[in-house]
Amino acid sequence: MSHFLLMVVYALLVSLFFTALWRRERAEQVKLFLQLFLGMVVGGLAVAWLMYPFPSGPPSPIP
Amino acid sequence: MSEPSGTQTSQPAARAAVANPLVAAVLAWLVPGAGHLFLKRGRRALLFFVLVIAALVIGCRLDGNLYTPVEGQPLTLLATVGCMGMGLPYFALRYLFDYHGEVMAAGYEYGTAFVLTAGLMNLLLVLDAWDIALGKKE
Repeated sequence: MSHFLLMVVYALLVSLFFTALWRRERAEQVKLFLQLFLGMVVGGLAVAWLMYPFPSGPPSPIP
Repeated sequence: MSEPSGTQTSQPAARAAVANPLVAAVLAWLVPGAGHLFLKRGRRALLFFVLVIAALVIGCRLDGNLYTPVEGQPLTLLATVGCMGMGLPYFALRYLFDYHGEVMAAGYEYGTAFVLTAGLMNLLLVLDAWDIALGKKE
């Protein structure tokens, strides 16, 4: 699986979970789901874009 | 001297407990969604079960870490409590399937996030079942 696909799957699971936990009305559920899901995916892409210029460096040794 | 008007009505009416909150919370912890099933929220129980188990299965397929406390690393204790939040699946993975995760696997970090999230989501379900049983939530 690609990094992006894993991020989308994670965002999907968490968004569905909190939507079912916090909202009862269908319209409110759709609104909250979209806010959470898009917030995580778009936010993740934005953070990735901001970090892009920084070099990753060699992997740290496993203790 | 009389009480100011509205003092009594501004207080929210106390709701009666729907079910034994301790039983609901213990069931919710043992099996994801079981607390909600006990409280007659069948559809939500099924959805929560599917979501928590899906996160756990994806995490295990990626060889994520099923935390245990490590001496000298206090944060692993918190992570262990978080993972144990998933209830019976944690102990089944640990003791029946001898699952630990694979630190050298490509998906280790992602898998750990999924496994830990499954445990933390179920801990929230325990609190939700407790509130529903007390009549504080629908």
